[in-house]
Amino acid sequence: MKIIEKIKTNKSADNLTEIQKICLDKLQSSPLPNTRSEQWRLSNKSKFSNFLKYSVNEKNPKFDTPFPNNSQSTIRLVIGDNCQINLMEENYSIKQLSEEKLVKYIKEQISCFDQNENWSDLLNLSLNCTKNTLGLKINGSKIPPIEIFSHASSNSLNAKTLIIFLEKNCDIDLLQVNLGKENSSLSQSTFFYLEENSSVNHGVVSYGENKSNLLNSLNVIQQNNSEYNLGSLHFKFNYARFEIRVKQSEGNAKTNIKGMQITKKDEQISTFTKIDFNGPNGFLDQINKSLADDKSHAIFEGSIIVPKIAQKTDASQLSRNLLLSNHAQIDTKPQLEIIADDVKCKHGATISQLNEEELFYMRTRGITLTEASKLQLSSYFQEIISFIPISKDRWNLLDKLLNEN
Amino acid sequence: MVNKNLVKDVVKEPYKYGFVTDIETEKIAKGLSEDIIRLISQKKEEPKFLLDFRLKAFKKWQKMKEPDWAGLGYKKIDYQDIIYYSAPKQKEKISSLDEVDPKLLETFDKLGIPLTEQKKLTNVAVDAVFDSVSIATTFREELAEYGVIFCSISEAVKNHADLIEKYLGTVVPASDNYFAALNSAVFSDGSFVYIPKGVTCPMDLSSYFRINSGDSGQFERTLIIAEESSSVSYLEGCTAPMFDTNTLHAAVVELIALDDASIKYSTVQNWYAGDEEGIGGIFNFVTKRGKCLGKRSKISWSQVETGSAITWKYPSCLLLGEESVGEFYSVALTNNLQQADTGTKMIHIGPKTKSTIVSKGISAGNSKNSYRGLVKMGTKATGSRNYSQCDSMLIGDQASANTFPYIKSQQPNSEIEHEASTCRISEDQLFYLQSRGIEFEEAVSMMVSGFCRDVFNQLPMEFAAEADKLLALKLEGSVG
Repeated sequence: MKIIEKIKTNKSADNLTEIQKICLDKLQSSPLPNTRSEQWRLSNKSKFSNFLKYSVNEKNPKFDTPFPNNSQSTIRLVIGDNCQINLMEENYSIKQLSEEKLVKYIKEQISCFDQNENWSDLLNLSLNCTKNTLGLKINGSKIPPIEIFSHASSNSLNAKTLIIFLEKNCDIDLLQVNLGKENSSLSQSTFFYLEENSSVNHGVVSYGENKSNLLNSLNVIQQNNSEYNLGSLHFKFNYARFEIRVKQSEGNAKTNIKGMQITKKDEQISTFTKIDFNGPNGFLDQINKSLADDKSHAIFEGSIIVPKIAQKTDASQLSRNLLLSNHAQIDTKPQLEIIADDVKCKHGATISQLNEEELFYMRTRGITLTEASKLQLSSYFQEIISFIPISKDRWNLLDKLLNEN
Repeated sequence: MVNKNLVKDVVKEPYKYGFVTDIETEKIAKGLSEDIIRLISQKKEEPKFLLDFRLKAFKKWQKMKEPDWAGLGYKKIDYQDIIYYSAPKQKEKISSLDEVDPKLLETFDKLGIPLTEQKKLTNVAVDAVFDSVSIATTFREELAEYGVIFCSISEAVKNHADLIEKYLGTVVPASDNYFAALNSAVFSDGSFVYIPKGVTCPMDLSSYFRINSGDSGQFERTLIIAEESSSVSYLEGCTAPMFDTNTLHAAVVELIALDDASIKYSTVQNWYAGDEEGIGGIFNFVTKRGKCLGKRSKISWSQVETGSAITWKYPSCLLLGEESVGEFYSVALTNNLQQADTGTKMIHIGPKTKSTIVSKGISAGNSKNSYRGLVKMGTKATGSRNYSQCDSMLIGDQASANTFPYIKSQQPNSEIEHEASTCRISEDQLFYLQSRGIEFEEAVSMMVSGFCRDVFNQLPMEFAAEADKLLALKLEGSVG
């Protein structure tokens, strides 16, 4: 109940937006996720309660980012930073969604929410005011790459919402960066709507600092012939939870997901994915990698749902995990729920440590053990990182990861 | 072409074990209470430790909630509407098979289980359990020569109380889960096997379970102990008559393997599955678990699950001993409105332990077939390995096939591999076979049996043939 009181004391009831009221109402019946449910069973309870410890902060402090300067060819937006955008170019347009449309769309989404599954979204929307919501409608081609930031400042709980409509035949590269400052909690919910023939290369990089927490939820709806490519990387959070829900609303769509989570110290990072094929000829290729060191805990749960209507679905899911320490833990649960009979579905999972034979081979060629392990890790990381758009050259993610190892 | 006719005949056959034996039985009143448990215990003339075990389990059961996490849809079971003890009436003491009621012998003959020793066809010793009690155990003297004890658990309680007291409930504790607690409170009979040190059991042991009455549940308990360097292969078969009510079957099987011992436990489960509308059928809620206590011990489960309205079972291995091995080979076939939620748990505790899981699920009709398994590497399981493979085959677009593997590792120096796939009977293959003059149904049955080959290879000979026939029979009319 604490969380609801927290939101309410922060504002008088009159100031609550309509969405906030609806979500609060929903949360009222079960204020916290049911820890006995599959989605929350492995979540570390004390870490999760830490997430809710900080007071809600609606203000958006200045962004002191350690990230590279903006290049001219990139559009950079910071959620909550009074960002106004209205671009009408020859080939494309990027417009802000009107508040009316935003409210309408969010309401539609809420009506399909499941209390446990979408708890992170409910929390996000009940905490969030319109100021920290960014809604974009993108149209056209040859659109410059877009970077969108959200961050939480120290000693506070911030909620940011991003809604993106991609109109027909539109094609973009988008990098989303979530930053957690020391002792902070960030609740980020993203809603993506891909119209016919549109395609997006979406990157999500979430990078925390000491004792930062993150609830990151991503909801994607894909229409016919759309293509959604996601490359994601989560690291350095004390507690992070990344939820991906993709729905191919009429099938005939392509989804590629490559994600990675790296845990150290006593961190817990988890990824939950649910891919729903709601029509025939859907395609999914998913790989999720985890690396757990020290006393940390990495979790992956992925479900693929293929109902009767989704004939000729081709879905594969792979969970690859590296366990590097005696005190670390990895849980993985790839799952298939299939009714349609003419489908190709497969999944695989492995948990192991660095390949000793490969290490030995490199050492016999005069490469030190540290170097050899680095080389192995870099190839392990590279597959995912190369899939994250516009990150490769300027963000040096690989160096960042390797040098911290 | 003999083979062809055989398959055809089999395909046409309805559930042939669905008859009821009209035999006078002794039943106690419906319902479950402390008094009923005392009554069961008294009827079986049990020592005090067993009554205490039962009562303790009952107290725990009362506090437990029926699990619902498997998402199996079934009508709530009224536990007070079940008869917990039912036994065919017979003369006081049976000293030889000649004294067994001929009707009973006839029943087992009809089921293809030869109890009369002169009729023995194979080198298999049988313990036949009818409703709540064990009717007969064959080949006792021969087994006794080797020091092997094979008898009903009620006899074991009388004659080998020390072993029962030492081992009963050590693998599956009474409080393990809802149905194990229920079984611990009311179990009526079952088989007991003890293989002494260094003995390789000279023949396969087998128990045959038959539910006859429609209103009594069956709660049997099996306990197998393999001492150092011994080995045994154990087979289990089950059938039940057709009733339009659901009957509860909640069994517990405990296996214990000491140093260098090996136990192979094979099941062909063919309880009545209910009719096409899903009326009737057995609720099969079973807890099976083996403990590889000793070094280099091995427990291997193989199962063919074709019957029951609902199957809920996870034969598991606790791999404690260094270099111990756990195996699980399973074929689960569901048709019409059957639901099967089955799989295994491989808990690696000791170092250098190994496990293999091969699961094949076939879902047809409107059925639901799930593989649910857990592989866990504990902190001390250095150098351990697991390999799992789960394949599902879908027949028709109304059936569902689910895979829920839970994988947990706390030991970096161990390896886990899991793979799963889903397929259907491919039209190309069907066309190929048909173009060579093989009839449609036979082609399907050939392909299903090819799909299950990895598992059938693990079954004892006589079971493998039976399993093949069973699958063909079950798939009748579901393809095409």
